[in-house]
Amino acid sequence: MSRVELLQGTLDLLILRTLVPGPNHGHAIAKHIQRASEDLLKVETGSLYPALHRLEAKGVISASWELSEKGKRARYYRLTAAGRRSLAAEKSRWESVSRAIGLVLNPAEQESE
Amino acid sequence: MSSFFQKLLWALRRSQKEDELARELRFHLEEETEERAADGLDQAHARAAAARSLGRVSHVQESTRAAWGWTLATQFAQDVRYAFRSMGANRVFSALAVLSLALGIGANVSIFSFVDAILVRSLPVSHPESLVLLSFRTKRAEMHGRTSHDDTFVDRKVGYGDSVLSYPAFEMFATHRDIFSSVFGFQGAGRVHTLIGNRAEVLPTEYVTGNYFETLGVPPAAGRMIMPDDDQPGASPAAVVSYAFSQREFSATSSALGQTLVIKGHPFTIVGVTPPEFFGADPSALPEIYLPIRAEMLLRIDRYHPVSSDFTDPNYEWVVPMARLRDGVTREQAQAALAPQFARWMQTVNTKRNRADLPVLVIRDGSAGLNGLRYRYSKALFILLVVVALILAVACANIANLLLARAAARRREIAVRLGLGAGRARIVRQLLTESVTLAATGGALGLLFAFWGIRFLTLLVSNGEERFTLHAQFNWRLFACAALLSILTGALFGLAPALQSTRAGLLPALQRRLSTHSASIAGITLSRALMVAQIAISLALLFGAGLFLRTLSKLESVDVGFNRENLLTFDVDAPQAGHHEPEVYDFYNRLREQLAAIPGVHAATLSQMQMLGGRWSTEVTVRDAPDKSTLIMAVGPQFFNTMQIPLAAGRDFEPADIAGAAHVIAVNREFVKQYLGGRNAIGESISFPGDCPRCGALQVIGIVGNPTIGGDVREELQPAVFFPFTVPIIGATNMVYELRTAGDPLRYAGAVREVVRRTDPRLPLTEVRTQRQLIDASMAREILFARLCTAFALLALLIACVGLYAAMSYNVARRTSEIGVRMALGAQQGRVIWMVLGEVLALAAVGLAIGVSLSLSASKLLKSFLFETTTSDPLAIAVAASALLATILLAGFLPARKASQIDPMNALRHE
Repeated sequence: MSRVELLQGTLDLLILRTLVPGPNHGHAIAKHIQRASEDLLKVETGSLYPALHRLEAKGVISASWELSEKGKRARYYRLTAAGRRSLAAEKSRWESVSRAIGLVLNPAEQESE
Repeated sequence: MSSFFQKLLWALRRSQKEDELARELRFHLEEETEERAADGLDQAHARAAAARSLGRVSHVQESTRAAWGWTLATQFAQDVRYAFRSMGANRVFSALAVLSLALGIGANVSIFSFVDAILVRSLPVSHPESLVLLSFRTKRAEMHGRTSHDDTFVDRKVGYGDSVLSYPAFEMFATHRDIFSSVFGFQGAGRVHTLIGNRAEVLPTEYVTGNYFETLGVPPAAGRMIMPDDDQPGASPAAVVSYAFSQREFSATSSALGQTLVIKGHPFTIVGVTPPEFFGADPSALPEIYLPIRAEMLLRIDRYHPVSSDFTDPNYEWVVPMARLRDGVTREQAQAALAPQFARWMQTVNTKRNRADLPVLVIRDGSAGLNGLRYRYSKALFILLVVVALILAVACANIANLLLARAAARRREIAVRLGLGAGRARIVRQLLTESVTLAATGGALGLLFAFWGIRFLTLLVSNGEERFTLHAQFNWRLFACAALLSILTGALFGLAPALQSTRAGLLPALQRRLSTHSASIAGITLSRALMVAQIAISLALLFGAGLFLRTLSKLESVDVGFNRENLLTFDVDAPQAGHHEPEVYDFYNRLREQLAAIPGVHAATLSQMQMLGGRWSTEVTVRDAPDKSTLIMAVGPQFFNTMQIPLAAGRDFEPADIAGAAHVIAVNREFVKQYLGGRNAIGESISFPGDCPRCGALQVIGIVGNPTIGGDVREELQPAVFFPFTVPIIGATNMVYELRTAGDPLRYAGAVREVVRRTDPRLPLTEVRTQRQLIDASMAREILFARLCTAFALLALLIACVGLYAAMSYNVARRTSEIGVRMALGAQQGRVIWMVLGEVLALAAVGLAIGVSLSLSASKLLKSFLFETTTSDPLAIAVAASALLATILLAGFLPARKASQIDPMNALRHE
């Protein structure tokens, strides 16, 4: 199965969504996105870490050093309050964009409905 | 905001962040390895696979760093640090580059400070932009009145213009409240006799209308300014003094208030002090006292125009009018509304001017005050700007050359960095940062040079004048100018070498031997072109300086017709100090006798003005033929003897002639030639029907050579007559005393002051100068140009010389191995020297050829500045070319000698 390229800007949204259940480190975030997308999306480290650090600079996630489940020190990222607000806004924006694109791509289904 | 501060914090904790990122990525790698191992790979393969999936760690780090923000800033800081390090590593190179740039920028900023002071700066008043000048223009230059302010403009299309109106015209404009929020006027009163306590001085004084300060919006430094109520008939006499005056005379602004000044015998009370930066509405004047314009009726004495009609005569023009436009009214609207009305008004009142050439109203921008200074200096400043721009160009060429040489030397370093994955843009940026850092250092040092340069220029331009009005000073515009020049030049001379050194392919650059050859071709062509340009520009500057020096020497060798050495002159104004006719004549004569008695004074005389202090002409009747135009000079006893003007026939004026107001006169040769048919004129009679009808005829008693009378040694020869100052032709005025001294005339200034003080303590002594100084002052501009251009040309020569030396040295270093081979094959030292010098000479020949043709076409611009010197003066060209050639040879000889001393063995090993 071929992989799809991530759309510009959507990686931020996926990272934020991944952090909803709780804090996690970079490697786990990448794996989670890969698994959740049934291996359709593979997050390159070259994009992941810049994105994480950019989100941290924006203040939507925060980072701290914690012990991983295997007992190693890892940099854990968690959503901030601003991050939750941002996620909600981005998610609804994404949904409306994707619905809009759907409407354009499949006008027949619309008409038949 | 918070993210801004977070980024700022990160920027400060940079190394910690780096460390964290490295640890974070290491953790990622370990996790990945474990995961692969769990999939069943052995440890080594798992690690390799993990590393592959992570990609280039340095790349990830670089793009993550970008997310931190501040990348540009930190890279810039890094580049600047690196730039300073590499400047430190090449001390000689950097010192030469910074020095030549600093000299270039310093010269530019210094000249720009004068451009700023004269052409750019607005009046230091509130909202200068809404001020306008109410000027007029006519086809022919015509003057019916008086003005001491210069706002004349001459335009080939419209003719002549000035800003001076009659008082009634001024009042008419003042009624237009719908267009102007206020109309105000002023006029200089000249240098006015003033008693401060017991001490007499003559001070530049300005009459201003009551609303002058109010409209300009000038706040008082102390007290209050002149107000409309002060400018009413019968108001108590009030005066405002300048800040400098209050400091000088009363040591504090506030203690000047309430003091009394006795101006021409009339007491005025000081009510206020102007702020220090205020110089009046005419940048070329610097009044010390401001009086209400109505005071003019009290103070002015004029035997030609009745003072009482100054405020009512619509044909006597003497008020300089300015106005402030109402909000929303443009100059064009004001012009359109008022010009027709002014034209109609002139038609009805005019009695003096030609009806076909009545003044036309021109409303001009008044934000910078009167324009006389600008018109007088703008062309000279333009030329100086071109000169300093050329110097900067030579300096830039220098640095570009030095950078080219260095870029070639750094090819390997750059190739290595490109090979290690640095982007070309990044390297160009870093090289540019280096050149701009170099330029900025030069600019900073240039500002320091400019600080001295401005003082030096002020000294040069003021030429010892006591009250020099042109004050160039440091302000933000100068800093902006220096910064702009630095960045511009830095980018300019840095860009070409930066692009060139990053363009070449990796491989040839790394393979050193190939690179030195192929990479150099373009670099050398560019470097040679730069050297040729430097030589050509230097020649042009030297040639210009040569032309000005020639002009100056021609001016200095002009025969003025009298002995200019050892002559002390000074001004005495007895009528202003209260001496009136006829007593004043007696007073002047007595003073002369006492001055002549000073030990060391060989002879003393007096005259109505200095021989080179201006000219006064009138019409005389010669042997019943009327209306012969001639220059006149009222003189005292022993005039020709004191001035050492050779007598062709007849005798000098004796004390008895003067004391008795004898009807005698002397004429110059030109007068005899033009009006008396060249015959012996002794005994002929000349009368002054216009100036003194009752004087009758004066008998010619002497004929003298043709001494120069006028403001300048260049004045053309005109008929002139000399007569006793006691004959009431010009009336009692201020007089100039001339003393022939033994040795330096200025040594006698103290004794002279003492004599004058003893004769009358109220009498101020002014303009104490030697005749030589006076003549020098009359050619101040030529002296200034000769000195400045010589200084600038030498500066350019020095900079170019440094550049040529550096470029040739580099060339020799580059060719070390080639020269080594030649010497190993038997070339003699002399041959090697000639080989290198030959290259220099070829460049010099091309540069000189271009320079000569450039100079000859550009020098036409200088025509109006030259005197008896053609714009293609062969001597100037020859001297400039040979001076330049000598310098070039010197600059080339040192590297050539160095080349000849190359040890072949060493050179080959170097390979």
